[in-house]
Amino acid sequence: MSDRDRFRELIEAYVLGALDPEERSAVEAHLAEGCAECSKARDEARWLVSQLAYLAPEAQPSDLLRGRLLETVHAEARAKHARKSSRSVPFWMWAAVAALLVFTLYTSWETVDLRRQIAESIARAQAEIAKRNELQEMLETNIVTDPRSVRIPMASDKKDMPQLEARWHARFGIVVAGQNVPAPSGTRTLQLWLIPKVQNGKPIPSLMLRPDAGGKFMLLVTNPPETMEATKALAITEEPAGGSAQPTTKPIWVGTVGSP
Amino acid sequence: MFLALLTVLESRRPSPDATLVRNLVRQDVNSFEQLYDRHSRAVYALVLRILEQAATAEEVVQDVFLQLWRNSAAYDPDRGPFLPWLLTLARNRALDHLRLKSERQRRREDQSDELPPVASAPEYERELDERRRAERVRSLMGSLMPQQKRAIELAYFEGLTHSEIAERLKEPLGTVKSWIRNGLLRLKEGFEAAS
Repeated sequence: MSDRDRFRELIEAYVLGALDPEERSAVEAHLAEGCAECSKARDEARWLVSQLAYLAPEAQPSDLLRGRLLETVHAEARAKHARKSSRSVPFWMWAAVAALLVFTLYTSWETVDLRRQIAESIARAQAEIAKRNELQEMLETNIVTDPRSVRIPMASDKKDMPQLEARWHARFGIVVAGQNVPAPSGTRTLQLWLIPKVQNGKPIPSLMLRPDAGGKFMLLVTNPPETMEATKALAITEEPAGGSAQPTTKPIWVGTVGSP
Repeated sequence: MFLALLTVLESRRPSPDATLVRNLVRQDVNSFEQLYDRHSRAVYALVLRILEQAATAEEVVQDVFLQLWRNSAAYDPDRGPFLPWLLTLARNRALDHLRLKSERQRRREDQSDELPPVASAPEYERELDERRRAERVRSLMGSLMPQQKRAIELAYFEGLTHSEIAERLKEPLGTVKSWIRNGLLRLKEGFEAAS
């Protein structure tokens, strides 16, 4: 008799629970190896053995048992339902979701509004710049063309330097202009000075400007630090970026202020 | 042809038990009540036969049905009929109780703390109601030799092993093994012949 046949003969008793420990372990090991025939026999034997329950004499449990059991089951069902209800999206979660939604909408609106404000500010700034440029040009034109302006030629000791010309209008300010002006080295700048008439008076610093790429130089001083009557001359020096409180180099251009 | 088609359709229809057990997963108390009313007598009769004490038997029956209620997903209707599974569960619980009382070691196939596997039933079993099923089992058991019947009952209702039965009946071990095996085979043949 093969091992399989030997185990096959034990299957019904195994399912019945009648095998002694050694045989039981051996059958379980054999089934664990995957014997298809014995596994099928075991499944069939389970049904066969279950039918032996009908050998028990008929009997009926008490109504008390039914009542106790259903009471327990009802209570557990209610408790589970209550737990389920309490678990189903609590109020605080809805509140959190609502708050998050409001916050998201608010931040979105804030972002849009901020962008709008930035765009408006840029537009206002550009308009201001354009207006200022327009006013500056108008002022420069007025100063240059108004016959009440005083013309101040500004010559240079250096032969390769072009002559500049300043015009001072008592009301509108000073305009200094020139063509083909070489740019100062590096980041240095040209600075305008007002030389006072008083004896030993120190030069009064004014605005700074570098000529543009084409060498054009146009400086407008709308609010000169000194009056025309108190000023002896205008001078331009080359200074470090940001200008100086007092000239650090010899003037390149100097123009004497005459009578208006 | 029509009858054949009807039979096929009928065999594919889920049994009332399968539908009721599926409903337990969603805590349907009404389905549980129906299952209890359908099968509590068979379960109680088996447990009482094993334990022989009504009060203790009712405790075990209560445990069995509560386990069904709390762990109904353990039964897979596609694997086999419900009642054999429930009766196997009840037998295991009752024998556990008996063994705890007598402090014997467990020796059965199915561990007491686990739910039993589902037994697949032969096709012809679908048409039998519980009363006819019980009558047939008793009739077939009545056709066995008294020693065969006694040995099988000792194993099934008292959870005794071959050796314990041999000791109880004062018969050789090999004889007891033959009684049980041949008796079960005759039962099986009887079921098949009756179908």
